[in-house]
Order: sequence, then structure tokens, then C-alpha cells
Amino acid sequence: MIQFLQQLINGLSIGSIYALMAVGYSLVYSIMNFSNFAHGSVIMLGAYFGFFALTGLNLPFFAAFMVACIGTTILAIVIERVAYKPLRERQAPFLYFIISAMGASILLENLVIATIGPTFRTYPPIFERTPLYIGSLAIGRLDLMMFIISAICLAGLLLFINKTKMGKAIQAASYNIKACALMGINTDRIILIVFGLGGFLAGVAGVFFGMKYTVYPQIGNITTKSFIAAVFGGLGSLPGAVIGSIILGVLETLVAGYISSQYRDLIAFVILIGVLIFRPTGIMGKSTVDKA
Amino acid sequence: MKKVLIGLMLVISMVFISCGGSGKGNTIKVGWFGALTGDQAVWGENELNTVKMLFEEYNAAGGIDVGGKKYKLEVIGYDNKGDAQEAVNVTKRLTGQDKVVAILGPNASGNAIPIAPILEQAKVPDIATVATNPKVTVLDGKVKPYNFRVCFIDPYQGAVAAGYAYDRLGARKAAILYDVSDDYSQGLREFFKLNFEKKGGTIVADESFNGGDVDFRPQLSKIKATNPDIIFMPYFFKEVALSANQARDLGIKQVLMGGDGWPSDQLISMGGKAVEGCYFVNHLDYADPAVQDYKTRYKAKYGKETELNGYLVHDAVLVLVAGLQKAGKVNGEALAKALEGIEVQGITGKINISPETHNPEGKDAAIEKIVNGQYVFQERYAAQ
Repeated sequence: MIQFLQQLINGLSIGSIYALMAVGYSLVYSIMNFSNFAHGSVIMLGAYFGFFALTGLNLPFFAAFMVACIGTTILAIVIERVAYKPLRERQAPFLYFIISAMGASILLENLVIATIGPTFRTYPPIFERTPLYIGSLAIGRLDLMMFIISAICLAGLLLFINKTKMGKAIQAASYNIKACALMGINTDRIILIVFGLGGFLAGVAGVFFGMKYTVYPQIGNITTKSFIAAVFGGLGSLPGAVIGSIILGVLETLVAGYISSQYRDLIAFVILIGVLIFRPTGIMGKSTVDKA
Repeated sequence: MKKVLIGLMLVISMVFISCGGSGKGNTIKVGWFGALTGDQAVWGENELNTVKMLFEEYNAAGGIDVGGKKYKLEVIGYDNKGDAQEAVNVTKRLTGQDKVVAILGPNASGNAIPIAPILEQAKVPDIATVATNPKVTVLDGKVKPYNFRVCFIDPYQGAVAAGYAYDRLGARKAAILYDVSDDYSQGLREFFKLNFEKKGGTIVADESFNGGDVDFRPQLSKIKATNPDIIFMPYFFKEVALSANQARDLGIKQVLMGGDGWPSDQLISMGGKAVEGCYFVNHLDYADPAVQDYKTRYKAKYGKETELNGYLVHDAVLVLVAGLQKAGKVNGEALAKALEGIEVQGITGKINISPETHNPEGKDAAIEKIVNGQYVFQERYAAQ
């Protein structure tokens, strides 16, 4: 029983990282109807920003954290302006957006390899390694911190979307962006805000990922899992992305812990494919078309 | 006055240049390849620097004596980027175009294995440095005629780790976590398990992960529940540091143990307290009096510390020179024959190349413990 609870905690902690990453995909998808594959690279740069703010500028942790988040917010907006806006203005098909996103992602990854180097780097220790105990259940301090901050960020995002005027505009745009523009909403600004929000969350995810594991140029590859979690939860739905991520994290951990770690990805993804066959929109998805 | 000085310098430098040119007939060309770019660039650069330094020292002392004639040594080094396909390409170039008599390196088993057919065709022997996979010199029970090495092999390393854990650390229950996608890790795990069980110990958990994974907590939670005396982690320092940190996060306090994939500055900076008090098997001890001379010479010349690879390529050079002298002529085929059964006292231990396996048989391993972020030598240990 303790073993099971411990594995559940492990799964929740992995799931919460996936969730932070998956929400960024879902946000952009809900407005633009394409999968922003450059998101993974923004997360990777978030990890580097945080690392250099901590070790290069010697900032205290929370200041470095903010530097990273603001950095990725600006970066995500720049990517939108450079890689997507010209396509939007030309009303290019969605496939072009995806290609452009992949291009941006490869560019950023190689830029980092060429300028910073391919070797991995390690965050200085910020939280103590000794775990907190509940009975004999061990919970890492960093995991707990990560879980709490992820929850705050996600709750804040949901509040923003549901309670503010700007959030209402984003919701409207996600239903029909053309009609929205006809109603006098500045959709260009909505898109900027959505990319900014996604970028901010990428910064949070990047810093935590870097602290928990290490920083290296291929971090972006990890986001494949979170992208799948977003599809599983229903692309375009924020609660869906969170739920999908948590389920994927827990599922993976339980398979690795009780069946075999070699079958982890195999079984987890077979279940995901199964779910998608019977429910193509994912758990809380909004539409079945253009899911790419 | 100034003009005279410049003119004098020109004349002197021309004399030197012409001297270098005239010596060409008595030069032995030796190839080297390894990674000079990419992940393993640190190791490649270290190897090539060491070879250059040693050759310069030999040449400054008048060269080496082969069959009653003095020869200078020259190294031709190529970057294979740590890539197996590139390894084949540069070997073709070294043997076909540059006509080297022997090749030193590479350090990686994956790069040393595919070059065998080219070596056999060109009749040029290769002495690998840190390539520990058995298949580098022996394939399907048959020894490859032109492949040699100066390091011990994975099965031996696994046996050393198992013996030390059981006999010296008193472990009776061991857990293993290994990388299922890596030959090196699988080999170590297999022979650790075999030897640990042969001694009377039990393997209570045998868990794996896939290369590229960053989270090991599900496996570690499982290992924790079996309450082992020791956890064997036969993989590279990055994953070692990550899994060690996560083990401590889960409240696992057991001693961890590993192989020669561990030693690295990164292990200490990433792993920190998590790897304190842990043990690993290494090719040599950095504090061993026998290696100090080389270590200081390298630092004086290049201004930085040498890595593990440098020590082994150092001994590869010793074996090469001894082989050439034994052969008595500058010829790849004769050299390969001479290398079989050769005995050289290297700085990493006594190297006795077995004619049956082309491995340095019975070479001692060094057991190291991590204390206060330093590698502390425990003892030289040979598996029985």
C-alpha cells in the first residue's frame, strides 16, 4: 500500500511537469488551431535563462525565476511575430504553420548548441535533498514546490481566462477567430497575449525541469510526451491538458513500477491510442477537425 | 640592427625548416582518431594532446630505435565526431592515404568495433584506449588479428564490482538499475549479477530504464521496497547523478556502486551529496605515484588536468613503441605479431597482451570511494 502511494506521488510529480508544458500547447491550439512545436525549444531556453541568471548574474532564486519567465514570454512573442505572423497575414494553410514551428524549433536548438555548447549543465542546489516524510512516504522538497507552483500558475491561468474581459476575448477567439474580429476584438493582440502566456508557462516549466534534471539543448524532446498528454486530454482545452498530463504521468509510473520499465512507454501509449480511437476529441476536446 | 636581427631569425628558421624536411625518411607515421567535436570532445582532445606530447618527448630524445635505426614519431590525428560511420571513413583515410603503421584510439567501443575489416585489409594494427566492450577484440570466439587494447573489459569490471561489494563491503542483497539500450551497461549488469550470485549473494531487484530517460523514481521506489544492501548503477555519470539525486529524494540511503562510466567532474557537481560515500571501479587511481609524473607533465604543457583517457593512451603509446622495437621493423603486419604476448609496465598497471584475446589479461582495477566530493583510492583489486 505504501509502495502504491509512493508511486502515485512519483506519478503526480511527473504529471505536474507534463501539465505545465502541455498547457502551452493547448493555449496556442485553442486560438490558432495548430500545434506549436517551437514550444519545446522555448522551454529549453527557459531552463538556460534560469541557469544563467542564477550562476552568471548570481540572482536569488525567485529573481532568476522571474528573469527566465519574462525571457521566455518575450521569446514566444518574438517567435510569433517572426515565424507565424507573416503566414497569418497571407492566410497560409495550417500545415505551413506547423512546418514553420518545426523550423523555429530546430533553429533554436542548434543556435544553443552552437553558442552555449552541447554539454549539459547543472543548476546549483536550491532545495535540500532530504525528503519530507508523511509516515514512511517520502516527498521531495523540490517536487512539492514544483507541484504547488504549477497548481498556482494553472489556477491563475484558468481564473484569467474565465474571469477577466481579456480572458473572455480569448475564449471567444477560440470559438471562432474570424467572427471575433468582425465583432471588433483586436485578434492580433489576443494572439500576442496567448503566446505571451504560453511563453511564461514555458519559463516556469523550463526552470523546474532544469532544477529537477539538468539543462541541455535537447530538453525540447521531452515535450513530445506533454504534447501527447495534451492531445489525450483534448487539444484546445486547458483543464483537459492538465488532466491528460496527470493521467499520463501516473500511468507511466504505475506501469514502470508494477509491470516493467521497458514496457512503460509501450503500454502507456497503447492506452492513449485506445482512448483516442473511442474518443477522438480526447477527454475534453473541442473539435475533431484539424487535429495536428 | 633590427634588420640584421630579423634577417638572422629568418636564416635560423629556414635552417630549422630544412632540418625538419630532411628527417622525413626516418619518420614513423602513427594514426590517431577519436571525437574532437561533440559530447566526447574533452576526451578526444585529451588523447590527441597526450600522444603529441609523448611523441615530442621521444623525438627530442633522438627518436626511437627500431632494428638498429633511429626513427622520429609523427601522429596524424582525425576527428570522427564520436560517430561509427566516420570512424570507418577516417580509418580508410589513415590506412589508404596516410599509410600509417598503426592507429591509436578510439576510446569508444561503438567506434572501435566497425573498423576491424579495414584494419585487416590494410594490415594495420589498432590499439584502443578505453573501449571496454569484449567485441572490440574478440568476435564470435575468434580474436580479431589487428585489434588490441590496453584497458580491461566489461565482464571483468562487472566481476570486480561484484567481488568488492560481496567480499569487502559485506553486501549480501544487491539491487541493479541499468540502461537497457546501452551495450556497456548491459554487459556490466550481466557480469555483476553472475559473479554476485556465484559468491552467494542475491539480486533482490533488477530494474532497467531506456537511454534518454531522466526520471528513475518508479524503478527506485521498487528498489527501495526490496531493501538491498547496495545498489549497482552501471551507466554514465549524467544518469548516475540524476538517479542518485532521485534515490536520495525518495529516502534511499544505501551505498551506490558503479563502473568506469562514473568518473567525471560533472558527477560531483551534479550529484553532490547524493553520491557521497559511494564506490566505483576505475582503470587507475589518480593519486597513484606511478601516474604523477605524466600528470604534471601534461598540466605543465597544456595548462589543464588530464582526463582518464590520457592515462590509457599514454600506455597505448608505450605498448606501440615496445611493439615496434620488438618487431624490429616498421611494418604493420610485423607489429601486430609483435604485440601478441608483449609485456609492458604502464602507468595504469602491468599490461600483458594475451595472444588469445588481445586484451591486457589480469590487469588490476582501482576501487575508488567518493569522500567530500573527492575520489579517494581504496585499493587495487583484481577479480578472482
